[in-house]
Amino acid sequence: MDRFIVNIIHRPEMVPEYAVKVTGHGKAEDLGRKALLTESLDIFKTQQACAHKNGLKTTIQMTYASLFNDEAVALAKQHHEEFGDEIGLTLLGLPCEQFRQKYKTKDFCIWMFSMEDKKAIVRDVFEKFHDAFGFYPESTGSYYMDAELINFIKAEYPSVKCAVATCWEEGPKAYHTCNNSWYTFMDGGPWAPWIPSKANTHAPAANEAEDSGIVAIPHLSRDLLACYDGNGSNFGTHPQNVLRGMIYNTKTWEYPYLYNLIDQYRSLAKYNNGYAYNMMFVGPGWMNKMGRWEQPYELLLKSYEDGCAYYGKLKKEGKLVDMTMAEFADYYRETKHYTEPECALWRDILYGSDKQLFWYCDPYMRACVNMDQGGAIVDLRPYAAKLEWPVGIGTPHIQDASYPFLIQEKYRAGYFTHYAGEGTVRSAKVCYKGEEIDLCLCRTKAQFSQQGEDRILTLDPVELVFADGLKVRLQTIITFAEGSSSIRFDRKILSMSDPDAEITIKEYLVACYGTTEYTEDMSSLRLHIDEEELSYEYKCRELIREGAEEIDCVIPPIKTRVSMLANGRNKIGFVREGYAFSPMFTLGYERNLKETEVFTTWLNLERAD
Amino acid sequence: MAQSGKGRLNYRCPSCFLRDIDMDMFYDKDKDEYYCLRCQYRGNEADVLAKNELARFRYRAMYERFDFDV
Repeated sequence: MDRFIVNIIHRPEMVPEYAVKVTGHGKAEDLGRKALLTESLDIFKTQQACAHKNGLKTTIQMTYASLFNDEAVALAKQHHEEFGDEIGLTLLGLPCEQFRQKYKTKDFCIWMFSMEDKKAIVRDVFEKFHDAFGFYPESTGSYYMDAELINFIKAEYPSVKCAVATCWEEGPKAYHTCNNSWYTFMDGGPWAPWIPSKANTHAPAANEAEDSGIVAIPHLSRDLLACYDGNGSNFGTHPQNVLRGMIYNTKTWEYPYLYNLIDQYRSLAKYNNGYAYNMMFVGPGWMNKMGRWEQPYELLLKSYEDGCAYYGKLKKEGKLVDMTMAEFADYYRETKHYTEPECALWRDILYGSDKQLFWYCDPYMRACVNMDQGGAIVDLRPYAAKLEWPVGIGTPHIQDASYPFLIQEKYRAGYFTHYAGEGTVRSAKVCYKGEEIDLCLCRTKAQFSQQGEDRILTLDPVELVFADGLKVRLQTIITFAEGSSSIRFDRKILSMSDPDAEITIKEYLVACYGTTEYTEDMSSLRLHIDEEELSYEYKCRELIREGAEEIDCVIPPIKTRVSMLANGRNKIGFVREGYAFSPMFTLGYERNLKETEVFTTWLNLERAD
Repeated sequence: MAQSGKGRLNYRCPSCFLRDIDMDMFYDKDKDEYYCLRCQYRGNEADVLAKNELARFRYRAMYERFDFDV
């Protein structure tokens, strides 16, 4: 039987940032303002009441500020006793008078502090929690938790088994949405719970040796199509985020999108052995009495009540199980194994496009396949490298916690349509008599199936029509073999209008590396065809070899080697260096095919050192 | 002319919203209009609300309810 689990999390944040900055506009900052503290606690009480009224238990994540408030502590204890809520501890909500006086900084994102400060703050907050409750928490979190931070917490406080550890695709897009002022760069992570590796939070652990010891959950369950293209903070299981996106009827105050989002997540059980997950975590700043942006308080409140009511309805219907974070961590470890992938065949539920994406995540990669582009891979993160990427003050990446990409169609153009340059994508071109048709231009749909350890994406056949009248029916099948760190592509020529015709298929990968929209230095990259090497010097060179056994590119800055293999007769391998105006590299294989023949290629990822 | 402040609600600039930027506007009481600090948009409350409806053109399925069990 399918199991759809929800974690509902509330935090008594005594100083919500929105309340301080916006509703406090025109006033000198005063974090101890009594009205602010009272309102914050009232919002927390309201949120708790919304959940409990609908028969849902919550995880109360105490903030540092709330640990100084006797009423907040008493409430948490009372709700734990009465409703079975878990009392956890968040590393969000650090700002308060006590924190400012002690640490002499306005920084508030735990992953951006120096490691020395992270340790001091964690000890301070966890010990303060222990003083208040007499035990250490089992769950913690922030918007992002870097690997060094998680490793430290697990070593010092082994009771911790679950943490909110990333916000899915919150990176440059969120930064831009906030007029380039919101420094949460954490693209490239899993969208559903995972066990982080000790080396890099975003990259799931492949085995016990890599296991950080916690189960991570994402902050919110986000729309896997809308968030990738737009502002992540508009499209998640956060009712007020949906309002932020203006995805509601201003006259009736209805927002079916929120329920579609929850239901689509529920439907993901069919791709994940019967398991699906949701998370709702709304900070009190989103239910401010003064309203937020265009939305008056009454609408903010209604949306939260409606969100809880919908989860409550699903629970009553036996379609949902509410768990605390610690309960969920136990469940996750009992039911999932390390290399088990997370899969999502996702459809557009907002723009009316029928567009379909397939997301795949395991300890070796995160990949996105776009059926509107003939099954092209439009995002690829090489988790196989388990890239060490310390973040925070004193490291090379003070704010940038994103896992680097090889392909990112929004930051690196994707299938290329502009005047000059090139975009990152993994696709194929079908060639005949000097004409080339890229499968990126063949819109289709896909079905998911699972056979043993393989997750298989079978695309509906597409028809290619060449200028001289030749019609080719071609089918793409993409296979993700669990634990293989490899993606297999089969291109089948189902039929041709001229059965004697011979076409050429060019399988290619255009890639680079980066975490943002701007290019990185490619000078250290090395391309290979078998033993022959081409060092990247932006000289637009190419190597071609008939019968090449393997082609690859080594990318030292992200310790990644990406390679391709191909089957069959007459295969020709090629690698291309880019140039300054097109700072990419290309790997590819081409082969001639006749009717009913299949061209199989593999894309492999591994750590380079 | 006195300095600008916040209006009844904290409206965002509809023009910037269309390019995925949340830009809070300020309110000029003398002219009864909101204006954007980043771009050139300005308008009264009715105009802001009307332009916000324009921003919804891309959400063609926002009122649909989907069935995922089929």
